[in-house]
Amino acid sequence: MSTKHSKYAEDYLKDDPVVDRHDKTFFGVREKRDRMAHDLPEWEQLREAADNIKRHTVTHLADYLEQFEANATKNGIHVHWAKDADEYNDIVLRILQKHNVKKVVKSKSMLTEECHLNENLEKNGVEVIETDLGERILQMMQLAPSHIVMPALHVHREQIGDCFREKIPGTTESNDPTYLTHVARLHLRQQFMEAGAGMTGANFGIASKGEVVVCTNEGNADMSTSMPKLHIVSMGIEKLIPDYSAMAVFQRLLARSGTGQETTVYTSHFRGPRPGGEMHIVLVDNGRSDILGNQEHWQTLKCMRCGACMNTCPVYRRSSGYSYTYFIPGPIGVNLGMLRDSNHYYDNVSACTLCCSCDNVCPVRVDLSKQIYRWRQELDELGHADALKKFMSKRMAWMFNHTGVYNGALSMAKMMNWMPRWILNSKMNPWAYGHEMMKFPKKSFHKIWKKMKDEK
Amino acid sequence: MSSRDNILNALRNNVCETYEKPDLTQIKPVVFDNPLEHFKLKATTTAGAKLIEMDTDENLDDIVRRAYPDAKIIASNLQGVTAQLNPDTVNEAQELAAADVGVIQGDFGVAENACVWIPQTMKEKAICFASEFLVILLDKKNIVNNMHEAYERVEASKDYFQQYKFGTFISGPSKTADIESALVYGAQAARGVTIVLV
Repeated sequence: MSTKHSKYAEDYLKDDPVVDRHDKTFFGVREKRDRMAHDLPEWEQLREAADNIKRHTVTHLADYLEQFEANATKNGIHVHWAKDADEYNDIVLRILQKHNVKKVVKSKSMLTEECHLNENLEKNGVEVIETDLGERILQMMQLAPSHIVMPALHVHREQIGDCFREKIPGTTESNDPTYLTHVARLHLRQQFMEAGAGMTGANFGIASKGEVVVCTNEGNADMSTSMPKLHIVSMGIEKLIPDYSAMAVFQRLLARSGTGQETTVYTSHFRGPRPGGEMHIVLVDNGRSDILGNQEHWQTLKCMRCGACMNTCPVYRRSSGYSYTYFIPGPIGVNLGMLRDSNHYYDNVSACTLCCSCDNVCPVRVDLSKQIYRWRQELDELGHADALKKFMSKRMAWMFNHTGVYNGALSMAKMMNWMPRWILNSKMNPWAYGHEMMKFPKKSFHKIWKKMKDEK
Repeated sequence: MSSRDNILNALRNNVCETYEKPDLTQIKPVVFDNPLEHFKLKATTTAGAKLIEMDTDENLDDIVRRAYPDAKIIASNLQGVTAQLNPDTVNEAQELAAADVGVIQGDFGVAENACVWIPQTMKEKAICFASEFLVILLDKKNIVNNMHEAYERVEASKDYFQQYKFGTFISGPSKTADIESALVYGAQAARGVTIVLV
């Protein structure tokens, strides 16, 4: 009866204070986002524009990619194309080996998670240092991110302090966030100085300029690319936008939606290599061109990974990122997981109450909950429909089609109210699982309706 | 077939329905009665920067000392700033991590979010990020309302991205809230920023 998501969530929900904190933390971000949206009279105009820009770009992507490549090449950037994760990992490894790089500093990139870049590089003798503070904490603790923008908020300061004391010599007993951030600052500074290459993702690629834009609050993408001479950008092909007038729209939406800030601290435009350095951009498909051909789900390609849909999702907030089986959790992750491999990630489709809040906060207006609804309709075809629910649906369909049976059942239903609670709320009755069994009304809606009609 | 052609072909073949490029001039963005005042407000509140206005009888060295009296190592390539490190002449970018204060020139500010546009005008951009504290000089006449105006300005300029192929919007000091959502200044880059209005 249960999906993996509901089982993991059930486990997570056993610890009330932890759940409450997680819920409040992310709802706090959602509230900050709301304040940002309400502060701008043109907010809905921006969302509409962002939606339309992405629709246009994604459906003309081949043309824009060619334009982007031509301009980037003119700027002295090496452009590579990878059809899948394996090819992408090979390209990156080859570039690093050519430059004899043993250590890489890296800013956050969901694409590298998607392609398992770090494992692949480590296997080939390249040390990878995550430089976003949250990511670095998780890397040292050997944990996976539980959110795409705020990856380590589920970890508590005591755990971080213990980890630093074990891994960074000289860390004292304090678990104060300011102190721990300072410890990480000094530790990471050393890494920036020593690394042979800096890797970043790309929040946006600008076709008309042949440049990439990276947005961070910590400045770690900038530190990663200011000291090493080699810069490698990993970019999903859907990250492209046409020009600066589009960039203005996205710059205004990204941080407001993601973290409730008017802007990220750094919005950095990379249009070529450092003096005496080298810059590479690897354009990665890895299933994206297939998604474009999926009429029901191609709009997930509009996503800019701001995380707003997770922060607002009541299921995400009360079940946390680890309850999902795909590495991207929340509404967008449910959809992306299904597009990656529906036979492997179908468990997450249950992680939705269809409240549709995600559709309303998404800055590019991806119809997230409607897509989840459509996946549920497809579960039976995929062979993953829940057997009990399927049986019950069939019986109910039969009952609704036979008026006599339906009316009979309806008049019997209120007799359930007389049954002892311990029977009603027992495991035999899945309707009462997790909450009290409802009381059946004395008069059915049909009877009330008829009576009102007669009285008229 | 190469992966490049593979991807481009797949994208061309798989498109179901195409959409026109939207007209973005329809957006009516916020403008302020006094953009400079709004910039100052945002810079000193949400962005977390300090702001000082240059007196007529002050020179740049006085200003830097006023902003950071304890600083020993100053990095800059600006005329009129006495500096121990010069981002144009250091052997390695790494040397700039020793700077207590980096002094750089901003081109224009954005009122809605206190961003300052910093086109790279030095050989090693590390000065903008690796210095412990940052002083950004900004002409108070150069304030635009919002990011739409900002990108129009970057687009129109012939100077940016010519010698050095980098430019960045900076809004206050480096920040993080990655440990239990507690806001901390100085995650990786500058721990504090002072904007000097000239």
